[in-house]
Amino acid sequence: MFKKKSLLLSSALFLGLAGCSTGEKTESGSSGGGGDQITVDIFQYKVEFKEQFEELATDYEEENPGVKINVQTLGGGNDYMAALKAKFASGEEPDIFNIYGAVDIEQYRDRLADLKDTKAAGQALEGTLSGVEQEGEVLGLPFNQEGYGLIYNKEIFEKAGVDPASIKSMEDLTKAVKTIDSKKEELKIDAAFALPAKEKWVTGNHAASAFLASDFKNDVLTAFEAKEVPFTNGDAFKEYLDLQNKYSVQPVVSLDYSQQVEELFSTGRVAMIQQGNWIYPTVEQMDPELAESGIGIMPIPLNDEMKMPVGVPNYWSVNKKADEQVQQAAADFLDWMYISDTGKEAVLTQFKFIPAYEGYDTEKISDPLSKEIYKYSEEGDTTAWVFPSYPIGWGENVLGANIQKYLVGEATWEETIKTAQDEWAKARN
Amino acid sequence: MKSKDFSFWLFLSPAMIGLGLVVLIPLLYGFYYSFTDWDGVNQTEFIGMRNYINILSDQDFLYSLWFTFKFSIVSVIVINVMGLGLAMLVTSYIKSKNILRTIFFMPNLIGGLILGFIWQFVFTKVFDAVGRMTGIGWLQGWLSDTQTGFWGMVILMSWQMAGYIMIIYIAYLENVPKDLLEAAEIDGANAIQRFRNITFPLVAPAFTVSLFLTLSNAFKIYDQNLSLTNGGPFNSTTMVSMDIVDTAFKMNQMASAQAKAVIFFMIVAIISLTQVYINKKREVEM
Repeated sequence: MFKKKSLLLSSALFLGLAGCSTGEKTESGSSGGGGDQITVDIFQYKVEFKEQFEELATDYEEENPGVKINVQTLGGGNDYMAALKAKFASGEEPDIFNIYGAVDIEQYRDRLADLKDTKAAGQALEGTLSGVEQEGEVLGLPFNQEGYGLIYNKEIFEKAGVDPASIKSMEDLTKAVKTIDSKKEELKIDAAFALPAKEKWVTGNHAASAFLASDFKNDVLTAFEAKEVPFTNGDAFKEYLDLQNKYSVQPVVSLDYSQQVEELFSTGRVAMIQQGNWIYPTVEQMDPELAESGIGIMPIPLNDEMKMPVGVPNYWSVNKKADEQVQQAAADFLDWMYISDTGKEAVLTQFKFIPAYEGYDTEKISDPLSKEIYKYSEEGDTTAWVFPSYPIGWGENVLGANIQKYLVGEATWEETIKTAQDEWAKARN
Repeated sequence: MKSKDFSFWLFLSPAMIGLGLVVLIPLLYGFYYSFTDWDGVNQTEFIGMRNYINILSDQDFLYSLWFTFKFSIVSVIVINVMGLGLAMLVTSYIKSKNILRTIFFMPNLIGGLILGFIWQFVFTKVFDAVGRMTGIGWLQGWLSDTQTGFWGMVILMSWQMAGYIMIIYIAYLENVPKDLLEAAEIDGANAIQRFRNITFPLVAPAFTVSLFLTLSNAFKIYDQNLSLTNGGPFNSTTMVSMDIVDTAFKMNQMASAQAKAVIFFMIVAIISLTQVYINKKREVEM
């Protein structure tokens, strides 16, 4: 009896093992290349351009018959990182995957091939590689550039008699908001702002980054190496949050992204929101007219400085553990996507990206928000996105959560900053 | 006997293999990883009990444990009272009891994530609108503080689970012999006495099952938590499961999350088994 049991158990185990090993075999077969066909497996996060990207990959396959591009897409945020982790853990490692920046480099360091010699790396705009440069190696190629600030409804501003171009400082903004608020009834709006404090990435990552960037000399790497966060602009940050909170649709801590963008902003119920150029397709879906000519973006004012936070949301990386041949094919594909004319065209008109590379006809940038952001980027009037360099989880779980606490009055601003500083120090020391 | 032995194990094997592959082996792996510093990708190092020691001083984890505990107690009581109440309703002599059974059971057929979003809409939109129209203050601003987040979760969970638990109670209620109840009635027992002295003891086995199910489900709740409050505001409605997932996938501390999961597993196992043991002793046989 006992023998039977162990026999069965062992056969069960054996079956399990067999299952695993077959999985591995097919995998190594597909990415190993072997014969004439090289397969490049891409695992990427940007759902928004899945179809366009797959089309571009097909175009590439037609131009290069020896290469097959396999695209797999899995939705943004934490889900992607978790799924990527699962892929690596199960042995089904993709050949090209996405990383967010310095923090992910730490975890995937052994898997990241050096892309310094690619043409794309040579043409990347200044500053766009700083998040992925380590020990002289370039470990990723930027997807695109994105920027965020205060997106406003031109019509409401006009009716209220506020000229957005005249806003040059926090003081101006406060005045403008007060003017708008006093005419709430005539303008038929619920409030001046919609502050989605439920989305901890909006407050803890984006808003905070605009005020923290100068603490780290505006440099992603300095932020990544910083043992402490000084919060030099803590008061300015408080002023900014207070202003939004006071003149926002309430309750802010249960206000989420879709309410903010779709329900309130796209329908003209609030005058402005803090978001980035990624909301453009959503607004376009809700109200094409408003999207095309009715919205503009201005930077988040830091005292009397107006600089647009522009950064690279994501990087393409090539798996160092893949076959040499596959690595080369992967790098070639990325080069082609960003450097060739077909690729450039697709990047601008199909993907609707703000390019992170030189040599693009920027007149073709399709939406007004992106255009505006690119203008700031060209003039160098930008601050770096330092939030990808926060300690893991700090931006949302620590700072974002404590900002919620502050907004509902359960903590003072001093406590909020103190907790955030302590947690940063704890994570980095 | 010998051949019977073989076929016994043969028939059992599909279930055993399934259980082994998806439950037992991962569980053992989990125990192992909880003693390492695995981050999900890189090679691991054995670090002994350090993860467990760190957890004891992890305020967030202890808070979520306490929060889950409170939530479980309240929702177990609410669900069982509601479930039993509904079961008594649909086994009584009212018309349309079949359709009522279906309706009460329906919420259980909807996935937890979707339920969460539905109730999020109800709490933040419908409650708010009603509150604004009638001027009732406590209906406004739901899910924006810990209190309403907590009760929101309890309401959601009860609404979902009560129908399921009702089915279990129905099965037992219908097995209560009518002649016993009739005899008691002739002897002059009123409805409350009949319920307390006859129905209740005979339905006791159902309590064992229902309490076990509700208790373990309430402790393990995740998707409802994710879609309804997502732990907010300020992580104050984060339940243990969510804290574990966050540790693993947001903070990249797989091993430490695994250690939390092991502790959580033990707590749930101990509480559930103790409850089953106590209730089993109190059951009466016909």
